[in-house]
Amino acid sequence: MTPAGAWTKAFAALLAAAIVIPVLAVAPLAFSEQSFLQLPPQDWSVRWWGVFFGDASWIRALLTSLEVAALSCLLSVTTGTSAALGLLRLGPRMRALATGLFLGPMVAPVIVLAVGLYALARSLGLVGSTIGLVLAHTMLALPYVVLNVGVSVAGLDPRLALAASGLGASPWRVFRTVTLPSILPGMLGGGIFAFVTSFDEVVLAVFLAGPSVKTLPVRIWEEVRVEYTPVVAVAATIMIILAVIGSAMGRLVTRRTA
Amino acid sequence: MNAAGRQRAMRVAVAALLLTPAMAIIALGFVAPLIRLAILSFSSPAGPLAAYRELATVDVYRVVLRNTLVLALVVSVASLAIGFALSLALMRLEAGWRAIVFACVVLPLWISVLVRTFSWMLILERNGPLNRFLAALGIVDQPLPLLFAFPGVAIGMVHVLLPYAILPIYAALSRIDPALLRASGGLGASRVTTFRRVLLPLSARGLATAATFTFLLSLGFFVTPALLGGPSDTTISMLIDSFVNERLDWPLAAAASMTLLAMALAVIGLAGRFVPVSALSEVG
Repeated sequence: MTPAGAWTKAFAALLAAAIVIPVLAVAPLAFSEQSFLQLPPQDWSVRWWGVFFGDASWIRALLTSLEVAALSCLLSVTTGTSAALGLLRLGPRMRALATGLFLGPMVAPVIVLAVGLYALARSLGLVGSTIGLVLAHTMLALPYVVLNVGVSVAGLDPRLALAASGLGASPWRVFRTVTLPSILPGMLGGGIFAFVTSFDEVVLAVFLAGPSVKTLPVRIWEEVRVEYTPVVAVAATIMIILAVIGSAMGRLVTRRTA
Repeated sequence: MNAAGRQRAMRVAVAALLLTPAMAIIALGFVAPLIRLAILSFSSPAGPLAAYRELATVDVYRVVLRNTLVLALVVSVASLAIGFALSLALMRLEAGWRAIVFACVVLPLWISVLVRTFSWMLILERNGPLNRFLAALGIVDQPLPLLFAFPGVAIGMVHVLLPYAILPIYAALSRIDPALLRASGGLGASRVTTFRRVLLPLSARGLATAATFTFLLSLGFFVTPALLGGPSDTTISMLIDSFVNERLDWPLAAAASMTLLAMALAVIGLAGRFVPVSALSEVG
Protein backbone atom coordinates (compact mmCIF):
# COMPACT_ATOMS: atom_id res chain seq x y z
CA MET A 1 0.00 0.00 0.00
CA THR A 2 1.24 3.51 -0.70
CA PRO A 3 2.81 5.17 2.35
CA ALA A 4 0.70 7.72 4.16
CA GLY A 5 0.67 11.29 2.87
CA ALA A 6 0.25 14.34 5.06
CA TRP A 7 -3.56 14.18 4.85
CA THR A 8 -3.71 10.56 5.94
CA LYS A 9 -1.39 11.29 8.86
CA ALA A 10 -3.45 14.30 9.91
CA PHE A 11 -6.65 12.27 9.66
CA ALA A 12 -5.24 9.43 11.77
CA ALA A 13 -3.84 11.82 14.37
CA LEU A 14 -7.10 13.75 14.59
CA LEU A 15 -9.16 10.59 15.00
CA ALA A 16 -6.76 9.14 17.57
CA ALA A 17 -7.10 12.38 19.54
CA ALA A 18 -10.89 12.23 19.22
CA ILE A 19 -10.79 8.70 20.63
CA VAL A 20 -8.43 9.36 23.55
CA ILE A 21 -9.26 12.90 24.69
CA PRO A 22 -12.90 12.18 25.64
CA VAL A 23 -11.72 9.21 27.69
CA LEU A 24 -9.32 11.31 29.71
CA ALA A 25 -11.33 14.56 29.77
CA VAL A 26 -12.70 13.82 33.20
CA ALA A 27 -9.27 13.60 34.86
CA PRO A 28 -8.46 17.37 34.94
CA LEU A 29 -11.77 17.97 36.72
CA ALA A 30 -10.58 15.89 39.66
CA PHE A 31 -8.06 18.67 40.28
CA SER A 32 -10.56 21.49 39.95
CA GLU A 33 -11.07 24.16 42.61
CA GLN A 34 -14.73 24.84 41.78
CA SER A 35 -17.62 22.95 43.31
CA PHE A 36 -19.31 22.40 39.94
CA LEU A 37 -18.03 20.47 36.99
CA GLN A 38 -17.02 22.46 33.96
CA LEU A 39 -14.37 21.85 31.36
CA PRO A 40 -11.72 23.16 31.48
CA PRO A 41 -11.35 23.92 35.20
CA GLN A 42 -10.51 27.54 36.08
CA ASP A 43 -8.44 26.96 39.23
CA TRP A 44 -6.53 23.94 40.39
CA SER A 45 -6.57 22.17 43.75
CA VAL A 46 -6.54 18.72 45.28
CA ARG A 47 -9.32 19.46 47.75
CA TRP A 48 -11.77 16.99 46.14
CA TRP A 49 -9.27 14.19 46.71
CA GLY A 50 -9.42 15.14 50.38
CA VAL A 51 -13.22 15.02 50.22
CA PHE A 52 -13.13 11.59 48.55
CA PHE A 53 -10.70 10.05 51.02
CA GLY A 54 -12.44 11.74 53.95
CA ASP A 55 -15.82 10.19 53.07
CA ALA A 56 -16.34 6.74 54.56
CA SER A 57 -18.92 5.74 51.92
CA TRP A 58 -16.54 6.44 49.00
CA ILE A 59 -13.71 4.59 50.73
CA ARG A 60 -16.01 1.65 51.38
CA ALA A 61 -17.09 1.65 47.74
CA LEU A 62 -13.46 1.58 46.60
CA LEU A 63 -12.62 -1.27 48.99
CA THR A 64 -15.75 -3.20 47.96
CA SER A 65 -14.76 -2.83 44.29
CA LEU A 66 -11.24 -4.08 44.97
CA GLU A 67 -12.53 -7.00 47.04
CA VAL A 68 -15.11 -8.09 44.46
CA ALA A 69 -12.59 -7.68 41.61
CA ALA A 70 -9.89 -9.67 43.43
CA LEU A 71 -12.29 -12.50 44.32
CA SER A 72 -13.81 -12.70 40.81
CA CYS A 73 -10.32 -12.64 39.31
CA LEU A 74 -9.20 -15.52 41.54
CA LEU A 75 -12.37 -17.56 40.96
CA SER A 76 -12.46 -17.03 37.19
CA VAL A 77 -8.74 -17.80 36.71
CA THR A 78 -8.86 -21.05 38.68
CA THR A 79 -12.14 -22.35 37.22
CA GLY A 80 -11.34 -20.95 33.75
CA THR A 81 -7.88 -22.54 33.59
CA SER A 82 -9.30 -25.85 34.73
CA ALA A 83 -12.01 -25.54 32.05
CA ALA A 84 -9.49 -24.71 29.31
CA LEU A 85 -7.49 -27.83 30.23
CA GLY A 86 -10.72 -29.84 30.24
CA LEU A 87 -11.78 -28.53 26.81
CA LEU A 88 -8.48 -29.76 25.39
CA ARG A 89 -9.36 -33.31 26.40
CA LEU A 90 -12.77 -33.29 24.68
CA GLY A 91 -13.55 -34.47 21.16
CA PRO A 92 -14.03 -31.71 18.57
CA ARG A 93 -17.85 -31.75 18.67
CA MET A 94 -18.17 -31.66 22.46
CA ARG A 95 -15.48 -29.02 22.61
CA ALA A 96 -17.35 -26.74 20.19
CA LEU A 97 -20.55 -27.19 22.21
CA ALA A 98 -18.89 -26.45 25.56
CA THR A 99 -16.96 -23.49 24.14
CA GLY A 100 -20.22 -22.09 22.79
CA LEU A 101 -21.73 -22.27 26.27
CA PHE A 102 -18.72 -20.45 27.74
CA LEU A 103 -19.01 -17.69 25.13
CA GLY A 104 -22.70 -17.15 25.94
CA PRO A 105 -22.17 -14.38 28.51
CA MET A 106 -20.15 -12.46 25.93
CA VAL A 107 -23.01 -12.13 23.46
CA ALA A 108 -26.08 -11.90 25.71
CA PRO A 109 -27.18 -8.28 26.32
CA VAL A 110 -25.87 -7.25 29.72
CA ILE A 111 -29.22 -5.79 30.85
CA VAL A 112 -30.86 -9.19 30.25
CA LEU A 113 -28.20 -10.89 32.36
CA ALA A 114 -28.61 -8.22 35.04
CA VAL A 115 -32.40 -8.55 35.28
CA GLY A 116 -32.21 -12.37 35.20
CA LEU A 117 -29.55 -12.46 37.90
CA TYR A 118 -31.54 -9.97 39.97
CA ALA A 119 -34.67 -12.13 39.72
CA LEU A 120 -32.71 -15.23 40.71
CA ALA A 121 -30.75 -13.50 43.48
CA ARG A 122 -33.97 -12.13 44.98
CA SER A 123 -35.45 -15.58 45.34
CA LEU A 124 -32.18 -16.91 46.79
CA GLY A 125 -31.71 -13.91 49.12
CA LEU A 126 -28.41 -13.01 47.43
CA VAL A 127 -29.16 -9.36 46.57
CA GLY A 128 -26.69 -7.15 48.42
CA SER A 129 -24.30 -10.02 49.10
CA THR A 130 -20.66 -10.06 48.08
CA ILE A 131 -20.87 -13.68 46.96
CA GLY A 132 -23.73 -12.89 44.53
CA LEU A 133 -21.79 -10.09 42.87
CA VAL A 134 -18.58 -12.15 42.76
CA LEU A 135 -20.39 -15.04 41.06
CA ALA A 136 -21.95 -12.66 38.52
CA HIS A 137 -18.62 -11.02 37.67
CA THR A 138 -16.88 -14.40 37.50
CA MET A 139 -19.49 -15.54 34.97
CA LEU A 140 -18.84 -12.37 32.94
CA ALA A 141 -15.05 -12.80 32.99
CA LEU A 142 -14.96 -16.58 32.39
CA PRO A 143 -15.16 -16.43 28.57
CA TYR A 144 -12.09 -14.19 28.42
CA VAL A 145 -10.10 -16.39 30.79
CA VAL A 146 -11.08 -19.60 28.96
CA LEU A 147 -10.14 -18.02 25.60
CA ASN A 148 -6.88 -16.57 26.90
CA VAL A 149 -5.71 -19.73 28.62
CA GLY A 150 -7.08 -21.77 25.69
CA VAL A 151 -4.64 -20.03 23.36
CA SER A 152 -1.64 -20.94 25.53
CA VAL A 153 -2.97 -24.45 26.11
CA ALA A 154 -3.24 -24.99 22.35
CA GLY A 155 0.42 -24.05 22.00
CA LEU A 156 1.37 -26.74 24.48
CA ASP A 157 3.21 -29.77 23.12
CA PRO A 158 1.37 -32.81 24.56
CA ARG A 159 4.53 -34.92 24.20
CA LEU A 160 6.19 -32.88 26.97
CA ALA A 161 3.60 -33.91 29.56
CA LEU A 162 3.73 -37.47 28.23
CA ALA A 163 7.52 -37.56 28.57
CA ALA A 164 7.33 -36.18 32.11
CA SER A 165 4.82 -38.79 33.27
CA GLY A 166 6.76 -41.48 31.40
CA LEU A 167 9.77 -40.48 33.48
CA GLY A 168 7.72 -41.09 36.60
CA ALA A 169 6.30 -37.65 37.49
CA SER A 170 2.93 -37.64 39.27
CA PRO A 171 0.04 -35.84 37.45
CA TRP A 172 0.28 -32.94 39.92
CA ARG A 173 4.03 -32.66 39.35
CA VAL A 174 3.50 -32.74 35.57
CA PHE A 175 1.01 -29.89 35.93
CA ARG A 176 3.27 -27.88 38.22
CA THR A 177 6.54 -28.26 36.32
CA VAL A 178 5.45 -28.68 32.68
CA THR A 179 1.93 -27.37 32.06
CA LEU A 180 1.77 -24.44 34.50
CA PRO A 181 4.92 -22.57 33.38
CA SER A 182 3.77 -22.53 29.77
CA ILE A 183 0.16 -21.47 30.44
CA LEU A 184 1.06 -18.92 33.14
CA PRO A 185 1.14 -15.94 30.73
CA GLY A 186 -2.34 -16.86 29.50
CA MET A 187 -3.57 -17.14 33.09
CA LEU A 188 -2.02 -13.79 34.04
CA GLY A 189 -3.45 -12.08 30.96
CA GLY A 190 -6.89 -13.55 31.60
CA GLY A 191 -6.63 -12.68 35.29
CA ILE A 192 -5.77 -9.04 34.66
CA PHE A 193 -8.64 -8.80 32.22
CA ALA A 194 -11.00 -10.45 34.71
CA PHE A 195 -9.95 -8.02 37.44
CA VAL A 196 -10.48 -4.96 35.25
CA THR A 197 -13.78 -6.32 33.88
CA SER A 198 -15.13 -6.68 37.40
CA PHE A 199 -13.70 -3.36 38.59
CA ASP A 200 -15.25 -1.52 35.59
CA GLU A 201 -18.60 -3.32 35.57
CA VAL A 202 -21.66 -1.27 36.45
CA VAL A 203 -24.92 -2.80 35.17
CA LEU A 204 -24.86 -6.16 36.99
CA ALA A 205 -23.48 -4.35 40.06
CA VAL A 206 -26.30 -1.77 40.09
CA PHE A 207 -28.92 -4.53 40.08
CA LEU A 208 -27.18 -6.83 42.57
CA ALA A 209 -25.66 -4.24 44.92
CA GLY A 210 -28.53 -3.61 47.29
CA PRO A 211 -27.72 -1.08 49.98
CA SER A 212 -24.73 -3.00 51.35
CA VAL A 213 -22.27 -3.92 48.56
CA LYS A 214 -22.06 -0.74 46.53
CA THR A 215 -18.98 -0.81 44.32
CA LEU A 216 -17.25 2.32 43.05
CA PRO A 217 -19.10 2.26 39.68
CA VAL A 218 -22.42 1.87 41.53
CA ARG A 219 -21.69 4.95 43.67
CA ILE A 220 -20.65 6.91 40.55
CA TRP A 221 -23.82 5.77 38.76
CA GLU A 222 -26.01 6.94 41.64
CA GLU A 223 -24.29 10.33 41.89
CA VAL A 224 -24.26 10.97 38.16
CA ARG A 225 -27.97 10.34 37.82
CA VAL A 226 -28.83 12.96 40.45
CA GLU A 227 -26.40 15.82 40.88
CA TYR A 228 -22.69 15.56 40.57
CA THR A 229 -19.72 17.24 42.18
CA PRO A 230 -16.00 16.96 41.39
CA VAL A 231 -15.84 14.05 43.89
CA VAL A 232 -17.31 11.94 41.08
CA ALA A 233 -14.47 13.11 38.85
CA VAL A 234 -12.01 11.93 41.51
CA ALA A 235 -13.72 8.53 41.63
CA ALA A 236 -13.68 8.32 37.82
CA THR A 237 -10.00 9.28 37.75
CA ILE A 238 -9.18 6.53 40.25
CA MET A 239 -10.93 4.08 37.92
CA ILE A 240 -8.92 5.38 34.95
CA ILE A 241 -5.63 5.05 36.86
CA LEU A 242 -6.43 1.46 37.77
CA ALA A 243 -7.44 0.62 34.20
CA VAL A 244 -4.24 2.13 32.80
CA ILE A 245 -2.16 0.10 35.29
CA GLY A 246 -4.12 -2.99 34.23
CA SER A 247 -3.57 -2.38 30.53
CA ALA A 248 0.14 -1.73 31.08
CA MET A 249 0.45 -4.98 33.02
CA GLY A 250 -1.49 -6.76 30.29
CA ARG A 251 0.91 -5.47 27.64
CA LEU A 252 3.88 -6.57 29.73
CA VAL A 253 2.48 -10.09 30.05
CA THR A 254 1.69 -10.46 26.36
CA ARG A 255 5.05 -9.04 25.32
CA ARG A 256 6.79 -11.69 27.42
CA THR A 257 4.97 -14.46 25.59
CA ALA A 258 5.53 -13.01 22.13
CA MET B 1 -13.39 -53.13 28.28
CA ASN B 2 -10.06 -53.09 26.46
CA ALA B 3 -7.12 -50.90 27.44
CA ALA B 4 -7.80 -48.26 24.76
CA GLY B 5 -11.43 -47.98 25.82
CA ARG B 6 -10.46 -47.64 29.47
CA GLN B 7 -8.00 -44.91 28.61
CA ARG B 8 -10.70 -43.07 26.63
CA ALA B 9 -13.21 -43.30 29.47
CA MET B 10 -10.56 -42.06 31.88
CA ARG B 11 -9.82 -39.12 29.58
CA VAL B 12 -13.50 -38.13 29.38
CA ALA B 13 -13.85 -38.41 33.16
CA VAL B 14 -10.84 -36.14 33.71
CA ALA B 15 -12.20 -33.65 31.19
CA ALA B 16 -15.60 -33.62 32.93
CA LEU B 17 -13.96 -33.10 36.31
CA LEU B 18 -11.87 -30.20 35.01
CA LEU B 19 -14.90 -28.57 33.38
CA THR B 20 -17.28 -28.94 36.33
CA PRO B 21 -16.43 -25.83 38.40
CA ALA B 22 -16.65 -23.41 35.45
CA MET B 23 -19.78 -25.14 34.13
CA ALA B 24 -21.38 -24.78 37.57
CA ILE B 25 -20.74 -21.02 37.50
CA ILE B 26 -22.13 -20.71 33.97
CA ALA B 27 -25.16 -22.81 34.95
CA LEU B 28 -25.87 -20.74 38.04
CA GLY B 29 -24.89 -17.31 36.72
CA PHE B 30 -25.97 -17.55 33.07
CA VAL B 31 -28.33 -20.43 32.27
CA ALA B 32 -30.46 -20.34 35.44
CA PRO B 33 -31.18 -16.57 35.25
CA LEU B 34 -32.26 -16.89 31.63
CA ILE B 35 -34.56 -19.82 32.45
CA ARG B 36 -35.98 -17.85 35.37
CA LEU B 37 -36.69 -14.91 33.04
CA ALA B 38 -38.30 -17.18 30.45
CA ILE B 39 -40.66 -18.58 33.10
CA LEU B 40 -41.41 -15.12 34.52
CA SER B 41 -42.26 -13.80 31.07
CA PHE B 42 -45.18 -16.26 30.82
CA SER B 43 -46.39 -15.66 34.38
CA SER B 44 -48.55 -12.57 33.89
CA PRO B 45 -51.79 -12.79 35.89
CA ALA B 46 -53.69 -11.86 32.72
CA GLY B 47 -52.55 -15.04 30.94
CA PRO B 48 -49.33 -16.65 29.75
CA LEU B 49 -48.90 -14.50 26.64
CA ALA B 50 -50.33 -11.28 28.08
CA ALA B 51 -46.96 -9.64 28.68
CA TYR B 52 -45.80 -10.29 25.11
CA ARG B 53 -49.16 -9.09 23.77
CA GLU B 54 -48.84 -5.87 25.75
CA LEU B 55 -45.33 -5.27 24.38
CA ALA B 56 -46.48 -5.85 20.82
CA THR B 57 -49.63 -3.71 20.95
CA VAL B 58 -48.96 -0.68 23.16
CA ASP B 59 -47.76 2.20 20.99
CA VAL B 60 -45.17 3.51 23.46
CA TYR B 61 -43.37 0.16 23.49
CA ARG B 62 -43.40 -0.08 19.71
CA VAL B 63 -41.82 3.36 19.51
CA VAL B 64 -39.12 2.23 21.95
CA LEU B 65 -38.42 -0.82 19.83
CA ARG B 66 -38.14 1.34 16.72
CA ASN B 67 -35.87 3.81 18.57
CA THR B 68 -33.59 0.97 19.59
CA LEU B 69 -33.30 -0.39 16.06
CA VAL B 70 -32.78 3.03 14.46
CA LEU B 71 -30.13 3.95 17.03
CA ALA B 72 -28.34 0.61 16.59
CA LEU B 73 -28.38 1.03 12.81
CA VAL B 74 -27.13 4.64 12.82
CA VAL B 75 -24.42 3.87 15.36
CA SER B 76 -23.25 0.71 13.56
CA VAL B 77 -23.05 2.37 10.14
CA ALA B 78 -21.15 5.34 11.57
CA SER B 79 -18.74 3.11 13.54
CA LEU B 80 -18.14 0.96 10.46
CA ALA B 81 -17.46 3.94 8.18
CA ILE B 82 -15.11 5.66 10.63
CA GLY B 83 -13.51 2.34 11.58
CA PHE B 84 -12.84 1.41 7.95
CA ALA B 85 -11.34 4.82 7.18
CA LEU B 86 -9.06 4.70 10.20
CA SER B 87 -8.03 1.10 9.50
CA LEU B 88 -7.01 2.07 5.96
CA ALA B 89 -5.03 5.01 7.34
CA LEU B 90 -3.42 2.72 9.96
CA MET B 91 -2.21 0.36 7.23
CA ARG B 92 -0.40 3.17 5.47
CA LEU B 93 1.25 4.71 8.53
CA GLU B 94 4.89 3.99 9.40
CA ALA B 95 5.33 1.34 12.09
CA GLY B 96 6.08 3.81 14.90
CA TRP B 97 3.06 6.03 14.25
CA ARG B 98 0.90 2.98 13.68
CA ALA B 99 1.77 1.66 17.14
CA ILE B 100 0.84 4.98 18.75
CA VAL B 101 -2.50 5.32 16.93
CA PHE B 102 -3.28 1.66 17.61
CA ALA B 103 -2.60 2.17 21.33
CA CYS B 104 -5.04 5.09 21.26
CA VAL B 105 -7.67 2.82 19.68
CA VAL B 106 -7.42 0.04 22.27
CA LEU B 107 -6.88 2.18 25.40
CA PRO B 108 -10.62 2.96 25.84
CA LEU B 109 -11.40 -0.79 25.95
CA TRP B 110 -9.75 -0.89 29.36
CA ILE B 111 -11.66 2.03 30.79
CA SER B 112 -15.13 1.65 32.23
CA VAL B 113 -18.00 2.55 29.89
CA LEU B 114 -19.46 4.48 32.81
CA VAL B 115 -16.37 6.69 33.09
CA ARG B 116 -16.26 7.28 29.33
CA THR B 117 -19.95 8.17 29.28
CA PHE B 118 -19.53 10.51 32.24
CA SER B 119 -16.76 12.28 30.31
CA TRP B 120 -19.11 12.74 27.37
CA MET B 121 -21.76 14.25 29.66
CA LEU B 122 -19.28 16.99 30.53
CA ILE B 123 -18.10 17.49 26.94
CA LEU B 124 -21.60 17.60 25.41
CA GLU B 125 -23.10 20.01 27.95
CA ARG B 126 -24.89 23.14 26.79
CA ASN B 127 -21.94 25.25 27.87
CA GLY B 128 -19.45 22.44 27.47
CA PRO B 129 -16.24 22.48 25.42
CA LEU B 130 -17.79 21.03 22.25
CA ASN B 131 -20.49 23.70 22.04
CA ARG B 132 -17.99 26.45 22.82
CA PHE B 133 -15.63 25.05 20.17
CA LEU B 134 -18.40 25.04 17.55
CA ALA B 135 -19.41 28.58 18.53
CA ALA B 136 -15.79 29.78 18.35
CA LEU B 137 -15.51 28.39 14.82
CA GLY B 138 -18.70 30.25 13.95
CA ILE B 139 -20.47 27.01 12.96
CA VAL B 140 -23.35 27.60 15.36
CA ASP B 141 -24.88 30.77 16.88
CA GLN B 142 -26.67 29.01 19.69
CA PRO B 143 -25.42 26.05 21.72
CA LEU B 144 -26.73 22.80 20.22
CA PRO B 145 -28.86 20.56 22.42
CA LEU B 146 -26.43 17.62 22.35
CA LEU B 147 -26.73 16.20 25.85
CA PHE B 148 -29.98 14.41 26.73
CA ALA B 149 -30.77 14.15 23.01
CA PHE B 150 -30.20 11.78 20.09
CA PRO B 151 -26.90 13.33 18.87
CA GLY B 152 -25.36 12.88 22.30
CA VAL B 153 -26.38 9.22 22.54
CA ALA B 154 -25.14 8.55 19.01
CA ILE B 155 -21.78 10.29 19.58
CA GLY B 156 -21.22 8.54 22.90
CA MET B 157 -22.12 5.12 21.52
CA VAL B 158 -19.98 5.46 18.38
CA HIS B 159 -17.08 6.41 20.63
CA VAL B 160 -17.58 3.32 22.79
CA LEU B 161 -18.09 0.96 19.83
CA LEU B 162 -15.32 2.24 17.56
CA PRO B 163 -12.62 -0.16 18.87
CA TYR B 164 -14.94 -3.11 18.23
CA ALA B 165 -15.29 -1.94 14.61
CA ILE B 166 -11.62 -1.11 14.05
CA LEU B 167 -10.06 -4.31 15.46
CA PRO B 168 -11.70 -6.85 13.09
CA ILE B 169 -11.46 -4.56 10.04
CA TYR B 170 -7.80 -3.81 10.70
CA ALA B 171 -7.10 -7.52 11.26
CA ALA B 172 -8.70 -8.35 7.89
CA LEU B 173 -6.83 -5.58 6.08
CA SER B 174 -3.47 -6.59 7.50
CA ARG B 175 -4.01 -10.16 6.23
CA ILE B 176 -4.22 -8.90 2.64
CA ASP B 177 -1.05 -9.58 0.67
CA PRO B 178 0.32 -6.14 -0.35
CA ALA B 179 1.56 -7.73 -3.58
CA LEU B 180 -2.08 -8.02 -4.70
CA LEU B 181 -2.57 -4.28 -4.37
CA ARG B 182 0.70 -3.56 -6.19
CA ALA B 183 -0.29 -6.00 -8.92
CA SER B 184 -3.68 -4.36 -9.33
CA GLY B 185 -2.08 -0.93 -9.61
CA GLY B 186 0.68 -2.25 -11.85
CA LEU B 187 -1.88 -3.73 -14.23
CA GLY B 188 -3.38 -0.28 -14.66
CA ALA B 189 -6.30 -0.31 -12.22
CA SER B 190 -7.14 3.08 -10.76
CA ARG B 191 -7.07 3.50 -6.98
CA VAL B 192 -10.86 3.44 -6.92
CA THR B 193 -10.93 0.19 -8.90
CA THR B 194 -8.30 -1.40 -6.65
CA PHE B 195 -10.34 -0.36 -3.63
CA ARG B 196 -13.61 -1.66 -5.06
CA ARG B 197 -12.38 -4.90 -6.66
CA VAL B 198 -9.47 -5.95 -4.39
CA LEU B 199 -9.50 -4.23 -1.02
CA LEU B 200 -13.23 -4.31 -0.33
CA PRO B 201 -13.90 -7.99 -1.22
CA LEU B 202 -10.83 -9.16 0.69
CA SER B 203 -11.82 -7.26 3.82
CA ALA B 204 -15.49 -8.32 3.60
CA ARG B 205 -15.22 -10.81 6.45
CA GLY B 206 -13.66 -8.26 8.76
CA LEU B 207 -16.38 -5.77 7.87
CA ALA B 208 -19.08 -8.37 8.53
CA THR B 209 -17.58 -9.22 11.92
CA ALA B 210 -17.37 -5.53 12.80
CA ALA B 211 -20.98 -4.94 11.68
CA THR B 212 -22.21 -7.90 13.73
CA PHE B 213 -20.32 -6.79 16.79
CA THR B 214 -21.34 -3.15 16.74
CA PHE B 215 -24.99 -3.90 15.97
CA LEU B 216 -25.19 -6.62 18.61
CA LEU B 217 -23.63 -4.45 21.30
CA SER B 218 -25.65 -1.35 20.43
CA LEU B 219 -28.95 -3.27 20.60
CA GLY B 220 -28.38 -4.07 24.26
CA PHE B 221 -26.61 -0.85 25.28
CA PHE B 222 -27.78 0.49 28.60
CA VAL B 223 -25.35 2.82 30.40
CA THR B 224 -24.64 5.24 27.55
CA PRO B 225 -28.22 5.87 26.32
CA ALA B 226 -29.48 6.00 29.92
CA LEU B 227 -27.03 8.79 30.81
CA LEU B 228 -26.77 10.72 27.52
CA GLY B 229 -30.30 10.33 26.17
CA GLY B 230 -33.47 12.33 26.75
CA PRO B 231 -36.99 11.02 27.36
CA SER B 232 -37.56 10.45 23.63
CA ASP B 233 -34.40 8.35 23.26
CA THR B 234 -35.59 5.49 25.44
CA THR B 235 -34.17 2.15 24.28
CA ILE B 236 -35.43 -1.33 25.05
CA SER B 237 -32.80 -1.85 27.75
CA MET B 238 -33.92 1.34 29.55
CA LEU B 239 -37.51 0.13 29.24
CA ILE B 240 -36.55 -3.16 30.91
CA ASP B 241 -34.86 -1.22 33.71
CA SER B 242 -37.97 0.90 34.30
CA PHE B 243 -40.24 -2.19 34.29
CA VAL B 244 -38.11 -3.68 37.07
CA ASN B 245 -37.31 -0.64 39.17
CA GLU B 246 -40.25 1.71 38.65
CA ARG B 247 -43.28 -0.31 37.57
CA LEU B 248 -42.19 -3.45 39.44
CA ASP B 249 -43.80 -5.45 36.62
CA TRP B 250 -41.71 -8.62 36.42
CA PRO B 251 -43.64 -10.42 33.65
CA LEU B 252 -43.34 -7.36 31.41
CA ALA B 253 -39.64 -6.92 32.25
CA ALA B 254 -39.00 -10.60 31.56
CA ALA B 255 -40.93 -10.55 28.27
CA ALA B 256 -39.00 -7.47 27.10
CA SER B 257 -35.73 -9.19 28.12
CA MET B 258 -36.66 -12.31 26.15
CA THR B 259 -37.49 -10.12 23.14
CA LEU B 260 -34.11 -8.38 23.34
CA LEU B 261 -32.35 -11.73 23.76
CA ALA B 262 -34.21 -13.11 20.74
CA MET B 263 -33.12 -10.09 18.70
CA ALA B 264 -29.50 -10.61 19.74
CA LEU B 265 -29.69 -14.32 18.86
CA ALA B 266 -31.27 -13.44 15.49
CA VAL B 267 -28.34 -11.11 14.74
CA ILE B 268 -25.84 -13.84 15.66
CA GLY B 269 -27.76 -16.45 13.66
CA LEU B 270 -27.95 -14.20 10.62
CA ALA B 271 -24.29 -13.23 10.94
CA GLY B 272 -23.29 -16.87 11.41
CA ARG B 273 -24.08 -17.39 7.72
CA PHE B 274 -21.31 -14.96 6.82
CA VAL B 275 -19.06 -14.93 9.87
CA PRO B 276 -18.06 -17.96 11.91
CA VAL B 277 -19.25 -17.30 15.47
CA SER B 278 -15.72 -17.97 16.71
CA ALA B 279 -14.61 -14.82 14.85
CA LEU B 280 -16.64 -12.81 17.36
CA SER B 281 -14.26 -13.91 20.07
CA GLU B 282 -11.20 -12.68 18.13
CA VAL B 283 -12.14 -9.16 19.11
CA GLY B 284 -12.40 -9.69 22.85
